[in-house]
Amino acid sequence: MKRTRFWALLLALAFLTALTGCGQTAPVAKTGLGNGTEPVSHMELRFAQQFSVDKYADGCRLITVRDDGRYLVVPEGVTVPEGISSDIVVLRQPLQNVYLVAAAAMSLIDSLGALDGIGLSGTQADKWYNENARRAMEEGRIRFAGKYSEPDYEMILSAGCPLAIESTMIYHKPEVREKLKSLGIPMFVEHSGRETSPLGRTEWIKVYGVLFDKEEEAQRLFDQQEAKMEEAEKDEPTGKTVAFFYISSSGSAVVRKSGDYVAKMVQLAGGTYIFSDPGEEDSSTSTMTMNMETFYQTAKDADYIIYNSTVAGELHSVAELVARNPLLAECKAVKEGNVWCSDQNIYQETMQLGSMVLELHALLTTEDPGGTQLRYFYHLN
Amino acid sequence: METEIKKQCARRVAVLVILAAALLALVAANINLGSVRISLGEMMRILTGRATDATAADIVWKIRMPRLVAAVLLGGALSLSGFLLQTFFNNPIAGPYVLGVSSGAKLTVALLMVAVMSRGRALGAGWMIVAAFVGAMLSIGFVLLISTRVNRASMLIVSGVMVGYICSAITDFVVTFADDASIVNLHNWSRGSFSGISWNDIRVMTWVVLVTSVLVFLLSKPIGAYQMGESYAQNIGVNIGMFRVALVLLSSILSACVTAFAGPVSFVGIAVPHIVKTLLKTAKPLWVIPVCFLGGAIFCLGCDLIARTAFSPLELSISSVTAVFGAPVVIGIMMKKRRGR
Amino acid sequence: MAYLFETKQMTVGYNGVPLIRDVEIRLEKGHILTLIGPNGAGKSTILKSIAKYLKTVYGTAYISGESVAEMNNRHLARQMAVVLTQKMKTELMTCREIVETGRYPYTGRLGILSPEDHRQVREAMEQVRVWELRHRDFMHISDGQRQRVMLARAICQQPQIIVLDEPSSFLDIRYKLELLDALRDMAREKGISVIMSLHELDLAQRVSDEVMCVKGEYITHYGTPDTIFKKKLIHQLYGLTEGGYNPYFGSLEMRRPTGEPKVFVIAGGGTGLEVYRSLQRSQTPFITGILHENDIDCQVARDLASTVIAERAFCRISDASYQQAEEALRRCPEVINCLTEYGEINGRNRDLLEAASVMGCQVRPFLGEKK
Repeated sequence: MKRTRFWALLLALAFLTALTGCGQTAPVAKTGLGNGTEPVSHMELRFAQQFSVDKYADGCRLITVRDDGRYLVVPEGVTVPEGISSDIVVLRQPLQNVYLVAAAAMSLIDSLGALDGIGLSGTQADKWYNENARRAMEEGRIRFAGKYSEPDYEMILSAGCPLAIESTMIYHKPEVREKLKSLGIPMFVEHSGRETSPLGRTEWIKVYGVLFDKEEEAQRLFDQQEAKMEEAEKDEPTGKTVAFFYISSSGSAVVRKSGDYVAKMVQLAGGTYIFSDPGEEDSSTSTMTMNMETFYQTAKDADYIIYNSTVAGELHSVAELVARNPLLAECKAVKEGNVWCSDQNIYQETMQLGSMVLELHALLTTEDPGGTQLRYFYHLN
Repeated sequence: METEIKKQCARRVAVLVILAAALLALVAANINLGSVRISLGEMMRILTGRATDATAADIVWKIRMPRLVAAVLLGGALSLSGFLLQTFFNNPIAGPYVLGVSSGAKLTVALLMVAVMSRGRALGAGWMIVAAFVGAMLSIGFVLLISTRVNRASMLIVSGVMVGYICSAITDFVVTFADDASIVNLHNWSRGSFSGISWNDIRVMTWVVLVTSVLVFLLSKPIGAYQMGESYAQNIGVNIGMFRVALVLLSSILSACVTAFAGPVSFVGIAVPHIVKTLLKTAKPLWVIPVCFLGGAIFCLGCDLIARTAFSPLELSISSVTAVFGAPVVIGIMMKKRRGR
Repeated sequence: MAYLFETKQMTVGYNGVPLIRDVEIRLEKGHILTLIGPNGAGKSTILKSIAKYLKTVYGTAYISGESVAEMNNRHLARQMAVVLTQKMKTELMTCREIVETGRYPYTGRLGILSPEDHRQVREAMEQVRVWELRHRDFMHISDGQRQRVMLARAICQQPQIIVLDEPSSFLDIRYKLELLDALRDMAREKGISVIMSLHELDLAQRVSDEVMCVKGEYITHYGTPDTIFKKKLIHQLYGLTEGGYNPYFGSLEMRRPTGEPKVFVIAGGGTGLEVYRSLQRSQTPFITGILHENDIDCQVARDLASTVIAERAFCRISDASYQQAEEALRRCPEVINCLTEYGEINGRNRDLLEAASVMGCQVRPFLGEKK
């Protein structure tokens, strides 16, 4: 008798908890404000595919993030339109005391000069590469409000934060999302990582331009990067192959997949990314840990090696590279002296992707590797 | 009543009263302490429903309250679970996770993270909880299944440890295919935290924990019999087969509940029963069970307070705080017992 | 005759494999049945089967006519209590609390004891004289006291029968006696029957009403102590090759010295015991006489001496015996005389002593005697 009671209780519990969990469903893609108003124009996007912006007569902008949410940015002094759909999040300008968790967005926001809008950060001061951000934190203009996984809700709430800009990591922490929601704090998840082309990533600056009322500046900066990219693309493809990877602490090689934007940058710069694997465009992870055999087989013939220093640390000489794995000494790139290392913070420099492509192009075409000074890559001797 | 018995009773009642007072004090501390200072006056207004500062009210009711209620309930659940398993296995270092509960939960959570969440699909927090709970109960199911083949209590621990290892191995396997984000998240999850608890969670938690705890209390008599060993327990009329299953199930539901809502929180289940028994100077379940619940609530609440305020706004993992306070206590008690012999 | 406890064609064993078949016990109220037999024979198996720790292969036990197999746990708890050998390890339980657990079949949902329960506990503890220990921690008392506490606990269950598995194995002689005395009193005063296994044959002989010998597949002997405790039976039951068993006292002697006897011991009436044992320890073979049948010395000598020259009980030493003794004397170079007194029936031992000195045997006085 006791036994059946327990099983029944158990099932009831499982059922109960399942019920509480059934709250979230993915939003269905809708169009329009829902109150019949039509947009007057759409923002022109050259490369980005993960978002769109509709402009309305009264100055409101509707940002739609694909497969995610919709945000209506209402300028200062304008009344919020009536009868809009319930799924649209209303954001009133000016946005102040924003809680920024997505580190990748910082470089874009800073270049826009919109740093003042940020009041709380999900990263500590000394972890910022961006000088302005670090200084702002040290001077107390931006406060540390806890990591994305354990935000300091009290601080955020008492600061009157109007928006939390999160990275996709937040999907792994649904309870934080729900908590923020229950506290009435809107959340914007930036999906620039999903863009397949590098400039598509950079084009997200336009989103932040809309949010912080710096649209023209955003357009100008973007055009600059686009110009640089085109310069790099002017030349014929060099036909040189490039390997971009790092050796993890456990000794295996971690490479970025061919669908990743770094690989794309290499293509745009006129090189060929050596870990090319067609049909991998859609995979959810951007990196892959390869076993030494496959890696060596492919990498030994690469013309250029660019070591990814963002995770495992920077290298200062070829000897250090070989020390990580002696096999690498046999690689063509090592023998011919074409080993480079990336700057540790290239992932935070989302604004400079165009410049980076230009540099990659320089890297691939220079006759004098040792004498070429680049910002984002340096030659290893 | 004899003087000796009067003294015992007085002692136990005193312990109960002191602990209850400690709990109240900690609750008050938890309500008042946090990243944001709220004046006492405002606090009183908030607590009586006449708040003037809406944000502060939100902070208290939506952030601090659910968290402290969770710490109380789950702390109590953990220490009860630990007590049950320590009695059952007659082993002072048995804890709520000795039967592989947390490994099973971690496995299903890892699967959920890798298979679903990393593809960018949004899932409600409830799913993580259900997954963890299901994983925990599945591993218990396996353990029980294995142990029905062999009729000895010691087999349960062996099965539990083995199932734990298997689950960890499968988890590592799953992690191989995971992206960095999932790995980090899984790691964070296994540290345990009371951070993201909502009132919805509290509702479910309260039911599960309170109902199960009452059932445990109702088992005081056979537990007391079991303290003399299985043979004698059977002789005085305890149905050993059913009792074993009931005990394992109840303790597993408790620890699975904790793991599901807050991740694995270590040490509370091991340390608190010892502390309680030393304070009460008895092992009688009728006393130990309620006081264990109280003790666990206090311990967890205190540790959570430290975890969230010590290095604010960075949060310490609750397990590290409980271990730092729990381990020396257990060592101290063990040493005292040895010396007392 | 209505028996309190019976087993009918009970076959016991592990995993369905029979170890001992057709065990038929008939025990009356207030009687004590002891199982004796060699290690591993199956005594514990039988006891465990009776106490329902082990499933019987066939057949079952009956208490007051009710089948044990069909009783539910609670009912059985009121009929049968156990005291087991194993060392218990409890935590923070006082002796009183241990004994109180015996009342569990009678208490309510939460196990809270009523005044009546408390009275029973007190009575049981006083009966086995552990009431003074009631507040002491169970782990902090001696083994003997612990076993008595466990007995008190069993009594508290108010059973009809108590089953004990080698209850006195770990106890010293004082506690052995106390425990068995307590058992005996309890059986007699409360009419509780007892089934237990003992290794101590001497105690089994004294405390039991009935004895059952467990060896082999079938029970070969089952009866009152006087029918069981016989030299040949015990020797056979335990497979004794070395040493001997004395059924009158249940005592044991060690291995008989082998070889040509070197010493002749003149003894009788208990004077020779020390000498015999000393010679046994040095493994010196000896001949002894002239004793009388059923003399204490004679009983021990039969186990230790190479040859015993004995006269019929209560009779004067005959010529035949004397001749025998003289001849034996010739073979032994050494003579030990233990006798200090000579009476009517053993007077001729004095002559024997003289003959010994005449023969040139080295005569030694009783070892250890201080002149």
